[in-house]
Amino acid sequence: MAVTLKYPFVKIEAPPEYRGVPHINPRLCIGCGACVNACPADALLRIDDYEKGTRKIVLDVGRCIRCARCDEACPTGAIRMTRNFEVATLDRKDHVEVVELRLHRCPNCGSYTDYTERALEKALQILPEGLFDGDEIRKRAILCRNCRRKLTVDDAVEASREVVE
Amino acid sequence: MKEWARKITDEKVRERYVNEVIERFRDKIIRVERNADNQWMIEIRKEDLPEVIGYIINHPEWKETQLSTMVGADERPLRGKFSLIYWISINGASGDVFFGIKTYISEDDPKFPSVTPIHPGANWYEREVKDLLGLIPEGHPDPRRLVLPDDWPEGVYPLRKDFHYTDSPKREFTDETKYPYREPPKGTAVFPLGPYHVALDEPGHFRLYVKGEEIVDVDYRLFYQHRGIEKIGENRLTYDQVNFIAERICGICGTAHALAYAQAVEAAGGVEVPERAEYIRTVMAEIERLHSHLLNLGLACHDVGFDKGFMDAFRLREHVMWLAERLTGNRKTYGMVVIGGVRRDFLEYRRSMIEKVIRELREGFQKWADQTLSTKTFVKRCEGVGVLSYKDAKRWSSVGPWARGSGRDLDARRDHPFAAYKYLDFKVPVYKEGDVLARCLVRAEEILESIWIIEQALDEMPGGDILAEWKEIPPYQEAVGFTEAPRGEDVHYVMTGEGNRLYRWRIRASTYNNFPALPDAMRGNSVADAVLIIASMDPCYSCTERVQVVDARSGKVRVLTEKELTELSRKASRGV
Amino acid sequence: MSGYERIAFSFIAVCLILFLPPLLDGVARKIKAKIQLRQGAPILQTYYDLVTFLSMEPVYPTERLAFRLAPYIAFASAVSAALVLPYGRVIPVSFTGDIFVFLYVLAMVSIAYMIAGFSLNNTYTNTGANREMMIMLSIEPVLGLAIGTLALNAHTLRIGAIPFAVTFTLSVLLAYGLLAYSVYVEGGFIPFDVAEAEQEILEGVFSEYSGYLLGIFKWALMIKRFALLWLLSSFISIPLVRNIASGALGGALILVIQLMVLFLLYTSIAVIESMNARLRIEQIIRQNAGVFVCSIAVLVLAALGW
Ligand code: SF4
Ligand code: SF4
Repeated sequence: MAVTLKYPFVKIEAPPEYRGVPHINPRLCIGCGACVNACPADALLRIDDYEKGTRKIVLDVGRCIRCARCDEACPTGAIRMTRNFEVATLDRKDHVEVVELRLHRCPNCGSYTDYTERALEKALQILPEGLFDGDEIRKRAILCRNCRRKLTVDDAVEASREVVE
Repeated sequence: MKEWARKITDEKVRERYVNEVIERFRDKIIRVERNADNQWMIEIRKEDLPEVIGYIINHPEWKETQLSTMVGADERPLRGKFSLIYWISINGASGDVFFGIKTYISEDDPKFPSVTPIHPGANWYEREVKDLLGLIPEGHPDPRRLVLPDDWPEGVYPLRKDFHYTDSPKREFTDETKYPYREPPKGTAVFPLGPYHVALDEPGHFRLYVKGEEIVDVDYRLFYQHRGIEKIGENRLTYDQVNFIAERICGICGTAHALAYAQAVEAAGGVEVPERAEYIRTVMAEIERLHSHLLNLGLACHDVGFDKGFMDAFRLREHVMWLAERLTGNRKTYGMVVIGGVRRDFLEYRRSMIEKVIRELREGFQKWADQTLSTKTFVKRCEGVGVLSYKDAKRWSSVGPWARGSGRDLDARRDHPFAAYKYLDFKVPVYKEGDVLARCLVRAEEILESIWIIEQALDEMPGGDILAEWKEIPPYQEAVGFTEAPRGEDVHYVMTGEGNRLYRWRIRASTYNNFPALPDAMRGNSVADAVLIIASMDPCYSCTERVQVVDARSGKVRVLTEKELTELSRKASRGV
Repeated sequence: MSGYERIAFSFIAVCLILFLPPLLDGVARKIKAKIQLRQGAPILQTYYDLVTFLSMEPVYPTERLAFRLAPYIAFASAVSAALVLPYGRVIPVSFTGDIFVFLYVLAMVSIAYMIAGFSLNNTYTNTGANREMMIMLSIEPVLGLAIGTLALNAHTLRIGAIPFAVTFTLSVLLAYGLLAYSVYVEGGFIPFDVAEAEQEILEGVFSEYSGYLLGIFKWALMIKRFALLWLLSSFISIPLVRNIASGALGGALILVIQLMVLFLLYTSIAVIESMNARLRIEQIIRQNAGVFVCSIAVLVLAALGW
């Protein structure tokens, strides 16, 4: 009675608790970068291109140490540890996953913000209905940082003017 | 807390030790500070280092005192000086105290009197600060390089703060940079072992100076795998991230490292860990010990050609690995320990899994031990081989089964109760013979003790949280964290810093304290036993040496293209 | 004995000598794997290994001729040793005094190993060669005395004829014991495999060999083991059936029994190997010295006619 298996000629299934190779579901990822900040091994990178207006979240399984910090950090459950453990390949590129997302463009000045369209969408979605100045927040949220600051200053100036008048 | 733990951690006992040192060196001490529960830092001038350290370590009544770690740090940005701390611990179940003997060294006069002549255990530590920080131990008997590669330029000190972690100085491999191995004693031949050797499993180069088959002397060169983890930890990683890198210092005793690190930060930052988390940590540490000891015992069999024992030990071990996989998500690198607690709870089904596995393991292991110890040829090979005397074990500050096989009665789990060990009962097996067999027996008994510890921990585990919230760690706090890894005490020193990052992190794996004693154990033995003796120390090179592929000659990283590689392998296998 | 029987059995003998040893090795590996609860490599694995080795160009660590010739010397010697043994009722090569030739060519295999080991400036090969020499010097006399005792009893100096003529006395029984022991030691089975110990000295001389030279060398050592065990198996099986076996059919019967005993021996050796650790060279020498003293005593017994 042998206890070894004829691996790799028989398939082996990892247990349900297994922390295998992480994988990003590109449909769920909003490009928030939380996973990038959490990753101890720099297996995840965030690459922004403000010219083209894109953000790439790059996962390099070859650097990954399977710690599952990204899995814990991700707000949408886009990056998940799978039960796959077989990563041998002849092509190093097989180890790399890229999710490309569009950066949000400020409707006011037309420059790209440092968050993605999806992240914004998601943020607006989870904004509770009937919030006190909900509309105001919605109005500001879509602006880039500069325009938002300007709007805030303008508003303040206007408000103080009103007070003065 | 159990009675025995209360006795060891008693405030009065601790104070007695501290007071004696303070009394004795009243005029030499500049400052005394209590860093943590069991840790006192005593600042002295550098001239007094050998005297004070010698006094504590060689104190006739404090039996198992030893140099637990030594830390050199570049504190120039803070105080304009370098610092050195010798951490000395009291062991042998006679009190839970760590002394940090600290001194400052200025940049213009980077010399300090070496402690090695008084306590050889300081040998590596002092060579390491010389390599990495440029602090010169005066009067050191063996000031050769230890850590840095042979072709690393003089005068570049990677652990200084002005050296950026991505810097890579120009290196040139010449005849002059060749490592100065000791001249072979008269009438001996050199028997090289490694850097790559089938039975060593990891790179380490030994030169056995032999007469016939008898080993007359030994020289070695290590640190082929120095990865500069400490530097990355100080620069690139946050507190939380370091935990996972710490775990990957070693492929065998990762949890011991992760735990030591977490405990160091917890001690420095005053983070209270929930009791349930302490129990879970304990169980994980013991599971790790089980698999590590089974691995080592198996390899001992393999090294003497007894493959049945080898395979059987590995078969038993496999169940422990599977258990770990179900508990934590992986066979190794459990990723359980984080600062403040643990990440996964033991749910009910996992608990019954543990119970089942360890019950079967106890039976299976007892059978294994009977079978192996009744294999005469195996016992014949291990008996009286590689004897490390108590004196040598003590003078090199050896730890773990390596030291316990030579009669040193020390075990961090008992002597400095951490995690949940203070709530549990267990024995610390000690053998006096000091040979390979004694070390095997220590490990075998420890396996049974570990099973017993796990059983108790499961029974007594309280409910509640498994992770404490912590917000901010105050900067510039110093503390050490320690665990008993399968190979002996692991010590991590941390100095916290600003911006959620460490200022200094010093890892000391158990093998670091065990390795220098190896030549003493090997002298007078046969070449045939060299590998067995090395294995009986259970060395862990990458732990000790804490990556990249560099061609030693050109200093360039060379990556073969796929085509070249296939070409090469085809050539090799078909001879075309 | 007809000429055809001679030719047929000699042909079978050559085939067995060349092609059976790898199979035996494969069987032993499988048995060990089973004892260790492993799947183990296929039984034919040793053939695959040999074919791979033989198809590869070696790397030469030295220019010395001795290094290149050693595997061939070992191979030729091992084959010659096997040829003086009986296969069925046929001994392919037989002449008076071939006892000495047998011992001599057997020693030649070890000597080839030593020549190879000492032709290099490498501590591993030197140590391996050294160990081989010590073992050979300590065990060959025992083997010689054991065979000598039997020859004395059988009144023949043809090794292949001994089992057909030996009569059982106390000294002969003891000599059988010594024969079994020396065959085991000389065969380099665990715990006596020190000359090729992998973990200690990287398989000694083999650490410098590669390609077809390695293949031939390994093959030679397998044939040497085969010759040794065939000797033992013949000495056990032929006396059992020599009275009832006559003619070509009888020869076939003997051959079948020889083979069965051989497999039995190989299997038990695999089991013993699994249950043991390798000894240190000086432990082996000490043990062999004791056995040598015993074998002299046995020879004296035989001379006294017991
Ligand atoms: S598992 Fe860990 S190392 Fe891997 S990508 Fe996620 S955070 Fe990074
Ligand atoms: S944390 Fe999740 S949503 Fe955010 S970038 Fe990473 S994968 Fe995408």
